[in-house]
Amino acid sequence: MSRPILDIEKIAIAFGGLKAVQDFTLRLPTGGLYGLIGPNGAGKTTVFNLLTGVYTPQAGTIAVDGTRVEGTRPHEIAAQGLSRTFQNIRLFGLLSVVDNVMLGCHVRGRHGLAGTILHSPRHVAQERAMRRRAMELLSLFDLASAAGEQAKNLSYGDQRRVEICRALATEPKVLLLDEPAAGMNPQEKKELQALIRSLRDRFGVSILLIEHDMGVVMDICERITVLDYGETIAEGTPTEIQRNPKVIEAYLGTEAA
Amino acid sequence: MSPVSKLDEQAALVMPDRGRAALNALVTGLACIAAALLVHFVVGSMVGPFVTRIMLDAGVMIILAVSLNIVNGFTGQFSIGHAGFMAVGAYVAAGITYYSSLALFGSYQAQTGLISVGSLIFAASALVGGLAAAGAGWVVGLPSLRLRGDYLAIVTLGFGEIVRVLLQQSNPQLFSWDETRAASLKELVPPPLGGAQGFQSIPTYTSLFWVALFVAITLVFCFRLKRSSEGRAMLSIREDEIAAQAMGVNITNLKVRAFMFASFFAGVGGALYAHQLGTALRPTDAGFARSFEILIAVVLGGLGSISGAALAAVLLTVASALMIELGPWRMVLYALALILIMIFRPGGLFGVKEAWEVFGGLWRRKAVAR
Amino acid sequence: MGDLLQTLITVISVGSLYALIALGYTMVYGILKFINFAHSDVVVIGAWTSFTTAAVLLPRLGVTPTEAPWWAAAGVLMLAMVVCGLVGFCVERFAYRPLRGAPRLNVLITAIGVSLFFQNFGQLKYEVLKPDGPGKPAMSLPFGAQPQGMPRLVGSRALNDATVSRGTLAGVDGAVVRLSEGVSLEERRQYSIRVTPAGAPRAIEAMVVAPAGRYEPGQDLRVGFMPAGAAPGSAYALVRSARVPIQLVDVAIVATAGLLMVLLQLLVYRTKFGMAMRAVSFNTTTASLMGVAVNRVISLTFVLGTSLAAAAGFLYSLKYVTLQQTAHQGWVLLGLKAFVAAVVGGIGNIQGAVLGGFLIAFVEQFGARYISSDLRDVYVFGVLILVLLLRPTGILGSTVREKV
Repeated sequence: MSRPILDIEKIAIAFGGLKAVQDFTLRLPTGGLYGLIGPNGAGKTTVFNLLTGVYTPQAGTIAVDGTRVEGTRPHEIAAQGLSRTFQNIRLFGLLSVVDNVMLGCHVRGRHGLAGTILHSPRHVAQERAMRRRAMELLSLFDLASAAGEQAKNLSYGDQRRVEICRALATEPKVLLLDEPAAGMNPQEKKELQALIRSLRDRFGVSILLIEHDMGVVMDICERITVLDYGETIAEGTPTEIQRNPKVIEAYLGTEAA
Repeated sequence: MSPVSKLDEQAALVMPDRGRAALNALVTGLACIAAALLVHFVVGSMVGPFVTRIMLDAGVMIILAVSLNIVNGFTGQFSIGHAGFMAVGAYVAAGITYYSSLALFGSYQAQTGLISVGSLIFAASALVGGLAAAGAGWVVGLPSLRLRGDYLAIVTLGFGEIVRVLLQQSNPQLFSWDETRAASLKELVPPPLGGAQGFQSIPTYTSLFWVALFVAITLVFCFRLKRSSEGRAMLSIREDEIAAQAMGVNITNLKVRAFMFASFFAGVGGALYAHQLGTALRPTDAGFARSFEILIAVVLGGLGSISGAALAAVLLTVASALMIELGPWRMVLYALALILIMIFRPGGLFGVKEAWEVFGGLWRRKAVAR
Repeated sequence: MGDLLQTLITVISVGSLYALIALGYTMVYGILKFINFAHSDVVVIGAWTSFTTAAVLLPRLGVTPTEAPWWAAAGVLMLAMVVCGLVGFCVERFAYRPLRGAPRLNVLITAIGVSLFFQNFGQLKYEVLKPDGPGKPAMSLPFGAQPQGMPRLVGSRALNDATVSRGTLAGVDGAVVRLSEGVSLEERRQYSIRVTPAGAPRAIEAMVVAPAGRYEPGQDLRVGFMPAGAAPGSAYALVRSARVPIQLVDVAIVATAGLLMVLLQLLVYRTKFGMAMRAVSFNTTTASLMGVAVNRVISLTFVLGTSLAAAAGFLYSLKYVTLQQTAHQGWVLLGLKAFVAAVVGGIGNIQGAVLGGFLIAFVEQFGARYISSDLRDVYVFGVLILVLLLRPTGILGSTVREKV
């Protein structure tokens, strides 16, 4: 078996006495599409925050394509090829949609003060390329017509898709999607499922996603990890997960009888 | 395998011709100089000394406001000690021109002529003053920019006060080169910049040409910065630090850079201010009164809007020249205006947009309505 | 040793002033998460209101300010607190409340606007009350652009001076007095003579400038000056100044500030309102869902903070009787130092503000006494930067995590 693109080994963090995540282990193979589920407050978003460097894990290791990233700063992790979207959309509201996506390209660019101010050929070319790439990405998501709008003026569903565009613009190896279907109607969800699948194929990106909508998760994820109270209670294929009594218990509670 | 190519590959395809780029840079530079000459000779000959003075003041204010806008407008940090950096530049530059004039020309009188040895020394000293201010910006920014915005405010305010206290400790000014050469080490360290008495008789080199030239350079710098990837990254910090980091923006680094750029231009602005006719630099120039004036221009123009900051700088300079008669009421009205703007037009005149984007938008909307 | 103790006394006195002001910064920050830049100007208004009351209102009520009984001083303090509490209420209601939920930068700039407004409005001068008799000062509202001398509501006496001899003056000749009793003046000690002219309510004090040594009854003793009214037969007391004098003013400051801080502590931790305040500070939204009247709590917090600032302004004017005009940078520096105290102690934390106040006073006073007095402001900001580097949330501050 080849080296996993994202190798998470027993990471943990506690806030005060609360063990938010314990011994979380996950190996995402290149091109994989895995899911992370669990009841509210199970620690799913905390896992994402640990992976992207918002929090530093108190134990365990994280490797992206073989490079250890735990303990490094968020922008360094992004440069290593880990990108994400946010549960509570975090677009740059006053910037235009295309600027939002171009910002994603920033991390892959080279920047020098002299070049920027004197408009060196390198700089001009890079700016043009960023704009082109951003427009290409937006067209893929049917958002090209909204490129000039301020991001805050877009609909909820469109904002979610701009966030994915922005994350893709960083040329990630691994994409973390935090509840991409939240707030979408069934039709939009269906489109989103197709889109997520196509992302993997078009961009060669491996995906880990958090989702509450079981329909979406069971449909597109190859393997699923279930968290409850910060602990991994189950791991397996969608069918295995659906049958797992522990998972059912976590979601529905123990039967009173 | 992927239909969307990587950034590098795509950049290689659209690389412009080297010669054209060089020509482009040359034309921009010449345009700045031409504009400065135009202002100096054509506009300068049409207006009297009062208006000239207002233009000089307004030019310096534009440089200060537009540069503070890099920190407060672009990166959304909150610096309120801009006058401290301005004072650093002013004192450094004035020290250089004053003592080198004594050494080279035997007098602190400015040499005449648009381009003379003296005026070139002045231009160089302005740049050195800017660099000194940028250095100070680095020292202040590096520790405090790791922290949340509010703290930066207080650290920058404190910085201005520290500069003021240190300038008060400087040695008395020396009035001839012989005196300077004969001075003991004790008279030269700390440097003889006049202490609490102020630093006087600074050669008068600031002219419409130099002010216009530096304004043009500042504006070109800021516009190009705002439209670049680095500028976008700065704006993204203002919008959402966490998302910016997650997208690979090194926020600490960029904040410190923004802070240094702003300090540099503040220093240059200070140098221009110092070499105006009849200026005596005083330690209190570093204090918060001046800082607040600059801040008001930035806020009035709209945080993030370069043209807004520049326009507001001009408006405020003209207004305060005309409101001199109002005496103490001037600052009261200032303060009230600031509060009311924040409540009723929190984005300032233009918000984050530039003037033409705002007016262009209006025009387009009308056209559509028709 | 004497020096050290003297500096420590100043630290405690000045520290409690810083602490009082810092409390206002910290309470507002704790609840609204913004720096109320106008807070230092409320201190100024407090000081100037005290001045106006003491120098203008008291004489009209028939009380001589320098001979005012303690309750008159308390009255001046109360009035200043009420006025400033009102000012605080209005500022919150009309300047800050419309911006609730706006970006922090906007609120900060508004605060600066409010601060500039007070500074400059305070320097305008409209004489509302004309002098109603020769020698009576005019009441000016606002306070005008000149410094004023605050009348000494609390006498400039040290509590631990020792009276070495009492008697009646045997003779007065200019600045030379003849005592009825013999005294020994020790080397390197300061003596003063307090003479009470017949019928006068208060003693006149003059410094003794005679050299040390033994003085027999009837021998002449040179003093700095002996004002009119002192005549042979007047009662006198010869007082030896303590090596480390404890000034009445300092005691008054520490006692008042201490009392107010204890009251605040009780209010915050022992009352229902205090609980509401802490709840709002912890989480505004949840507090309002739990039925806390958030707006009222915020208003009251402002009123509390500003009345503490008023008390600080009053006490400050007792100690430093030259009141500078409202836009003078000395005031801004005072506010800044208090703010630094709040940040150093851990902004949002009430005990932290008190701790920070004393710490900043300590650094400032000891630095000024033992290193260089010119650089006292530099030490304060140096401590700020040091603490921010080592412990960004202040000494007692807790870390806040932003929800991602």
